[in-house]
Amino acid sequence: MTENNKYWKGIEDQSNPELTEKLAQNEFSNEVSSADFLGNDDAVQTETSRRDFLKFMGFSTAAATLAACEAPIVESIPYVVKPDSLTPGMPSYYATSMFDGSDFASVLIKTREGRPIKVEPNGDAPFNGATNARAQASVLSLYDGARLRSPKVNGEATSWSAALSAAKGMISASSVLISGTVLSPSASAAIEKLGLRHVSVDAVSQSARLDVYESFAGKRGLPMIRLEKAQTVFAVGADFLGDWSGQNFAAAYASRRKPGKGMLKHIQAEAGLSISGSNADTRMKVRVSEYEAVLATVYNAVAASKGFATVNAPKLRADIVSSVNAAAKELIASGEGALVLNGLNSKVAERLALAINLALGAKAFDTTTFVYTAKGDDKAYAQLVKDIKAGSVDTLVTLDVNPAYALKDLNLEGVKLVSIADREDESASQAAVALPLSHYLESWADYVPADGQYTVGQPTISPLFDSKSAVEILNGLAGGTESAVELIKASAAAMASEKAWNALLHDGYAQSEVAEIAMNGAMNGEMIDVSGINVAKPSTGLEFYTYTKAGMGSGANANNPWTYELPDPITRLSWDNYLVMSAADAVEYGVEIEAQSNGAMNGTTVNITVDGKSLENVPVWIQPGQTQGTIGLAIGFGRQNVGKVGNGVGVNAFELLPSSSALSTKVSVAATEVEHGFASVQLAHTMMGRKIVNEISLPTFLTESPEAWNEKPTFETHKGPMSAFEANLWDDHDHETSHMWNMSIDLNSCTGCGACVVACSLENNVPVVGKEEVRKHRDMHWLRIDRYYSSDMTKEVAEEEGVSAIEKYAKMEVPSESPSVVFQPVMCQHCNHAPCETVCPVGATVHSREGLNHMAYNRCIGTRYCANNCPYKVRRFNWFNYKGNEQFADVNPSQDDYGRMVLNPDVTVRARGVIEKCSMCIQRIQIGKLEAKKDGRILNDGEFTTACAQACGSNAIVFGDVNNPKSEVSHLKQEGRAYHLLEEVGTQPSVFYQTKVRNRA
Amino acid sequence: MYTTTSKLRRFASLLSVVVFMFSASSAQAFEGDAKNGKKLFKQNCASCHKLDKKLVGPALTGVTDKYSEEWLLAWIRNNAELRASGDEDAIAIFEEYNGSIMSSFTTLSDQDIFDILQYTIEGDQKVVPVAADGSAAVVVAESKDYSKQITIGLGLLLLVMVMLLARMKNTLRLVNGQDPVSILEEAGWFWGRLINNKGFVTVATVLVTVLFLNQAYWWMSGIGVEQKYQPEQPIAFSHALHAGQNEIDCNYCHSSARHSKHSGIPSANVCMNCHMYVDGSEITDETGNLKYDGEGSPEIAKIYAAIGWDSENREYIEDYEQQPIKWIRIHNLPDLAYFNHSQHVNAGQLECQECHGPVETMEEVYQYSELTMGWCINCHRETEVQFEKNGYYQDFHEELTEKYHDEKITAEKIGGLECGKCHY
Repeated sequence: MTENNKYWKGIEDQSNPELTEKLAQNEFSNEVSSADFLGNDDAVQTETSRRDFLKFMGFSTAAATLAACEAPIVESIPYVVKPDSLTPGMPSYYATSMFDGSDFASVLIKTREGRPIKVEPNGDAPFNGATNARAQASVLSLYDGARLRSPKVNGEATSWSAALSAAKGMISASSVLISGTVLSPSASAAIEKLGLRHVSVDAVSQSARLDVYESFAGKRGLPMIRLEKAQTVFAVGADFLGDWSGQNFAAAYASRRKPGKGMLKHIQAEAGLSISGSNADTRMKVRVSEYEAVLATVYNAVAASKGFATVNAPKLRADIVSSVNAAAKELIASGEGALVLNGLNSKVAERLALAINLALGAKAFDTTTFVYTAKGDDKAYAQLVKDIKAGSVDTLVTLDVNPAYALKDLNLEGVKLVSIADREDESASQAAVALPLSHYLESWADYVPADGQYTVGQPTISPLFDSKSAVEILNGLAGGTESAVELIKASAAAMASEKAWNALLHDGYAQSEVAEIAMNGAMNGEMIDVSGINVAKPSTGLEFYTYTKAGMGSGANANNPWTYELPDPITRLSWDNYLVMSAADAVEYGVEIEAQSNGAMNGTTVNITVDGKSLENVPVWIQPGQTQGTIGLAIGFGRQNVGKVGNGVGVNAFELLPSSSALSTKVSVAATEVEHGFASVQLAHTMMGRKIVNEISLPTFLTESPEAWNEKPTFETHKGPMSAFEANLWDDHDHETSHMWNMSIDLNSCTGCGACVVACSLENNVPVVGKEEVRKHRDMHWLRIDRYYSSDMTKEVAEEEGVSAIEKYAKMEVPSESPSVVFQPVMCQHCNHAPCETVCPVGATVHSREGLNHMAYNRCIGTRYCANNCPYKVRRFNWFNYKGNEQFADVNPSQDDYGRMVLNPDVTVRARGVIEKCSMCIQRIQIGKLEAKKDGRILNDGEFTTACAQACGSNAIVFGDVNNPKSEVSHLKQEGRAYHLLEEVGTQPSVFYQTKVRNRA
Repeated sequence: MYTTTSKLRRFASLLSVVVFMFSASSAQAFEGDAKNGKKLFKQNCASCHKLDKKLVGPALTGVTDKYSEEWLLAWIRNNAELRASGDEDAIAIFEEYNGSIMSSFTTLSDQDIFDILQYTIEGDQKVVPVAADGSAAVVVAESKDYSKQITIGLGLLLLVMVMLLARMKNTLRLVNGQDPVSILEEAGWFWGRLINNKGFVTVATVLVTVLFLNQAYWWMSGIGVEQKYQPEQPIAFSHALHAGQNEIDCNYCHSSARHSKHSGIPSANVCMNCHMYVDGSEITDETGNLKYDGEGSPEIAKIYAAIGWDSENREYIEDYEQQPIKWIRIHNLPDLAYFNHSQHVNAGQLECQECHGPVETMEEVYQYSELTMGWCINCHRETEVQFEKNGYYQDFHEELTEKYHDEKITAEKIGGLECGKCHY
């Protein structure tokens, strides 16, 4: 019965059984002809059989294998005429200046064989001689393959003379030059010569603040802050340790915050958690719209104490009023040591801050010396917007600004563009003429960053592309024919005549006396008249503001991978910008963040509308310490046309709020269904009651002995209690003879800025891995800065309230809504009893007699036992060949010939499948010792240091030889504050930390 | 044989006398020894003069025709005095050469000067070695090596003996009334016995495997070891001539070896320090004749081509597109190993030859040492640290001598074997 059954596969079988039968005969129903398969007609004609093909394959594989055994022929090409100053293999250093529109730094550039490879701070420079993460990363922007390679007219590459004449042809009396802040007197002279109306606009506008000083002091600059003279700092919305080029305040800040009597007290009032806020002793959560009211309240208290007239101050919220009053009291008590800083771009706020400082006679607020790193003028810009709308501007010349990206209220449709830019960005790509701008390391330049300061910038390499410096381009447009160096020489002769040209280039700066100036509008001799000032009433709804991140800053290095790979110091997220929102608001708007099974974080996105302009699917990060009712978004992200690294990373905050607006109160937010993946490098936010960062208060430090607050772990043994250094299983290495390298990290000084992380990465050729890999916790940083929030739940609280153990630990995981924040740089601790060394099966990681834990990459076979056994989790595994794998083509700079030029030739570029970690910059140690040996002298303390220590603006990291009794680090090791991380594990690290002391009861 | 050679010799000397008489016929009254003159010329004059070419000073061939004997004596001995005396010829020549001052040679005797002048007349005589049949002889250095022939001969002898033995055996077999067996048959039978012997097969297999693995191990550990590597360089530069014969210090050209990790290949401008004056035209071949017929050496011309030197007008060519010389690198340390020349040359006070071998005898440089890690380590184990007179080691040395007493303090004892000293 059954044998006659016919089973159809489908209805179509039944409809055409012949075809089905035919198809069933063939394995592939549609035969692909060999011609199609090979895609080459000639290949079909050949008589090569499959066997022949395999023979050839076998032969060529064997041949290739054999050939690979032969060493390749390497050429060694000397100079034809060697420059005197250059010895191959030896670095040369040049002093120059960096200014990217917001950050100004006097720097030393390390070059090897003519290639700049590292930015170092110019410690001798009297003004801004420190570097931050952006300055450190800026050298990589030089080797950006996405830079404009030649002048272009209507998108066609052309010569400079043709491009300049085309540009000149477009410029008329009704053309406008728009630029960022111009610090260069030579460039200003060229602009004057050009005769165009000039509008300056900053990415982070300080225009209203500048207006205040223009009217009171006649100078469009900001007063010099001299933190070393401060006793109490009250900062309102001012991230002076972060986006005020905080690296330059860091040294004074750190030195004034050495624990002891008279330690600087830092009070911060701000909406979003900033680097300054994280470092503050007391931090109050204030809405942006309340900044003015806070300042007015403090002013009134100060005025009342001095007998001056008060102003009309709106009532503050009940939960901040007492802390603001307390801050006012502290300021009054500090008298001349008081310092009030305002970060809000508002005339009212700045006038109040100025008035308080003058009333108290704040010595740290130097109103005779002005800083000019921001000069943008919002009024002139607003007029330009109007004029362009009215059609009275024919050509817009942009100098290193990107209106199509950053100036969204500027209607570019009716105007022709001449773009002076380093790349074909959003504006230059639609410009009629694009003139390539050289990187600062290729340019001659001069700067007057502050009163009495004159610095020069000199090229450290010939331009990689057919580009010119800003001075030369502007002068060329104005019809000048002088070269850049001639212009700068002339400027130097006029501005710094007392210093010879060569001396000026050697030092990089010249300093002159600053004349005292009188302040206008003084009342009672020392008081700015603020009567009748109209202090804005705080809003109650949702507020939106923009801010800058430590890595991105104002966005000058938006195609630089280190800008993105550096995790944000606060959120510890990389490769992103996002709205920061308080936990309470998150509940209200239905925003959640969840850890995924692979350890990555995913969060809700929202559609946001600000002043009628909206962005869709913007990720939101729930930020402890964020003031409820405020949301912030970092600028500089969301680029479309910057290069393969930065394109499409994050969202453009300028779409919502122009830089001239400090905040908007017309905000609506609605959660969407779309999820966003964050690249978070730290999942644990609290210390769970452990002594990872040892933190105490100043009174404890002053009144109790170190044994009480810096207890060392002891173990019970048959010989009685023993410290972790005495009780051990291993034989000790000989560390008495020769050097013993140690590092001290002062947690009281570290501001968490991240400069050391980028410096380390560049010094040690650390690969960039990109967002997807960071999400999998495969970031390669040798040095990370852990950030911990305090929790409302502590062991003491649990005991007091009788909370169960499970609930206690569950709650301890949750950061406080108003947390205190600590930063802790962690690199390889160079344990003298290293857990990693004992588990390596191939002896790839071994100890040195100088106290270092060595890592021999070529021995490593990648078992990763060491990483598993490392209690500090500082070992990194090369999962991929980052410099060759296509997956990383967009992010890893070593994938193209330009990006490879930044690699440090003294450090191996690691291969796939090996572990790497901090080497304590052993290449610097070896060279440092060698220099002493060659000179036949004793090695002095401080002759060389690690990259992180050198980059650290606050001197939190001190490196040296503890066997040298004169060294700084040997003194620091004896300090009562010194402790080792996880000392109880008995690893005996060569790195130790100094206890953090907060100036509060 | 003897007679013909001597006849030819006599003819040759006669010929040279005739040549001499013709050249001397231009009314020259002095007599000089050109051979001594050549020696003196090389010592005193060659840095500025050539016979046939302008160098710093004029070409000297025919100088005796231009000036009188007395004038030449006076000029050579002290030209400044002659010029001061207002001699027109002297002033004219001084001005023609842009006032470059010629040294005075007060120590030369009259005869010395005559010898030099004689040399300017005779120049470099071509010496033609003459063979017995009158044609120029081609000298072939024949070094005979008979070892191959001996081996082949012995082999043949052995084969013959085997054949003889086989014959003898077969004869004996015939005598015994047995059938003769060919060698091949016998060998086959023997082989069959062997192949069926399990013990033999096992031992042979083990032996062959061990041998093979041993060979493979050594072969593989030799991969990348380029000892004796001797690539052909773009310029046939002879270290034997420069460092050996001329005794130029290694550091003169490889100056960065004292300061830097790289020893440095000299840039062309360093070559020009000497080769501005030495163009190789005076190089002679084995027979003593000028190798390049008085022209500059084509090898040295490569330096001129690289840097843009006009050897005719003796000046650098303006706006010349310079071409670097692409030497082939001989010593290639892998990137994973850090090596610093100054550490070894300066702090360690090693001679270059300790790693690079007798470079001063090498016509063409080759890699003398293995440059393997074992080789490095070995040296670090054996080499004593140069504590002497080095302030860096002051305290350190005392501590170490206390610790190691009379033992040698080698690089190893101060951490010279630690991985991280070379691998980072």
